[in-house]
Amino acid sequence: MSCSDLIKQYVLDEFLPGVGPEELEADYDLRANGVIDSLGLLRVVTWLEATFEIPMEEVEIVEQDFTSLTSITRFVELHSAAGQSDVDYLGKAA
Amino acid sequence: MTGWRATVVAARPAGLETIVPYSRSLLGCLADFARNRPESTALVMGGDRVSYAELCAMTMSAYNGLTALQLPSDARVALHAAKTPRTVALIVACLLARRPFMLPSTELGATALEELLEKADCTDVLTAEPGAGVGGLRVHKIDTTAVPPDGDLAGLDGITGPDVSPDATSFIFTTSGSTGLPKVVPLSFQAVERFTEWAVTKFRLRPGTVVLNYAPFNFDLCLLDLRATFKAGGTTVLVESERATNGKHLAELIRTESVEVVQSVPMLYRLLADAHDGEPFETVTHVIVTGDKMPAKLLPELPRLFPNARFYNIYGATETNDSFIHEITGDLTAAGPLPIGRPLPGVDALVLDADGVVVDGPATGELLVSTPFQTAGYAVGGGADKFVERDNGRVYFRSGDLVDRDADGVFTLVGRNDSQVKVRGVRVNLEEIEQVLLGHERIAGAAVVALPDDVAGLVIHAVVRRDTTEPLGVLGLRQFCRERLARAALPTTIRVVDDPLPTTSTGKTDRKAVIRDLLNGS
Repeated sequence: MSCSDLIKQYVLDEFLPGVGPEELEADYDLRANGVIDSLGLLRVVTWLEATFEIPMEEVEIVEQDFTSLTSITRFVELHSAAGQSDVDYLGKAA
Repeated sequence: MTGWRATVVAARPAGLETIVPYSRSLLGCLADFARNRPESTALVMGGDRVSYAELCAMTMSAYNGLTALQLPSDARVALHAAKTPRTVALIVACLLARRPFMLPSTELGATALEELLEKADCTDVLTAEPGAGVGGLRVHKIDTTAVPPDGDLAGLDGITGPDVSPDATSFIFTTSGSTGLPKVVPLSFQAVERFTEWAVTKFRLRPGTVVLNYAPFNFDLCLLDLRATFKAGGTTVLVESERATNGKHLAELIRTESVEVVQSVPMLYRLLADAHDGEPFETVTHVIVTGDKMPAKLLPELPRLFPNARFYNIYGATETNDSFIHEITGDLTAAGPLPIGRPLPGVDALVLDADGVVVDGPATGELLVSTPFQTAGYAVGGGADKFVERDNGRVYFRSGDLVDRDADGVFTLVGRNDSQVKVRGVRVNLEEIEQVLLGHERIAGAAVVALPDDVAGLVIHAVVRRDTTEPLGVLGLRQFCRERLARAALPTTIRVVDDPLPTTSTGKTDRKAVIRDLLNGS
């Protein structure tokens, strides 16, 4: 599963139960539309830290990095210790 | 209701004199501190420290910018309440210029904001943030850097002049309504001066006292965090809105800035307790819990976090400001809800029974309060019946809160007489959200409920019945809500159903049944 697919699945499972993957566009504003509120953001950050080995202590958390699937993916690609976007996660081929 | 009459614009409470001479007014104090202790810190945010001299220079700069706009003398403006020292300077400049200013929530949806600005007659919106994207017809960016900090502060002398009417409007706050539009709550200079005078004395604010500001600027809590602190010559530490839910950051901030006074909704204490590393916050002397019910589980954590502090539960509404205080002492693990205590000095509280009759002694009923700090009435929205004048000449605010008063005169909150709830300290009306959802052309029914949550206190869930067989996307509905509601009022989940919503025997939506269904996951 690719990095962006994994993030999408997490957001759907965690914040949008019942919403299909085809409904959630990559640039849908998750913050302004109240899908991820400030407490939800903490959960996302904790999950990203664990899943993508991002050293959150060293990374500046800026709200703009979490407005959409696109921006979260970009954030992960930039900061992930696991490296670039083509890396497979959970051992599965993308 | 015998002995009562509704007033459209409530009078000032009778028998309350002008208690604050102008030489002690906030603005006079700021000017004094700028001259006598120019290097002392007024504001801290992020790595930035702003001295009293710098704050006054920023204020003069904003004042000049504001004057240059040449707005009609009685025109109200709206301020973009971004949480920065620049915005503080702009607020003080508006006070200096006697310009009534409204502070709408920065999280209000675009459609709702436009409507609010129109209803409140605020055609001009001011922002001190150079790069801010701000809604409104005419947006003016106000420069707060044009006057150097060592410049001429002579203009500040004008601020102790005699021409301010104590009843003139200073701050204008907004608070949630039940119709989809916030209520607009103007506060007079006098009301604010009286309140800050109380806060300075009660919490022993002095030159150099460090006060944490957790609430966003559109909350009346800032009158204590900032206005009272400046009056005393203290330092306000601003919590950046983006980092307000980061417990580790908050703990570090309290420690590095040696914060002494903390006022917040319970959520801050929850976040601090969760992030706690065992090292207590030794410098904190006063801890104020306000805006929401304190969870019983969280209460015993307070002395562990703040071993040197006194603890207070404060009750108030935007309309009246703080009205009750309860000092929390003794066994903090005791069962039962935390009392809101007794009325503040100068506050009168009444309990109305189910028949609308004022009752004495131990009683349960609706709380009515009259405070020296209250608004003279809504400028926009809200029924005039929320303010009632009694035979004693005092005007009381009908809080809608149900209270229990014991034989000792100690009050405890027991509920609401309407569908208003608190979400992280923000007043949210469930009916308002339902009305907004019902405004969607493909929704035939809507039920909005609040369910308990460990961290947030309450979270909002919506169930809507679609008036169509076509798919009705939750994401589109969210966007629809977001344009019309404040962010705190956006439901955490929206569920779309086809079956009619459960109703009571009188045909109203049965929220209890909806809650049962949600809890059972059916």
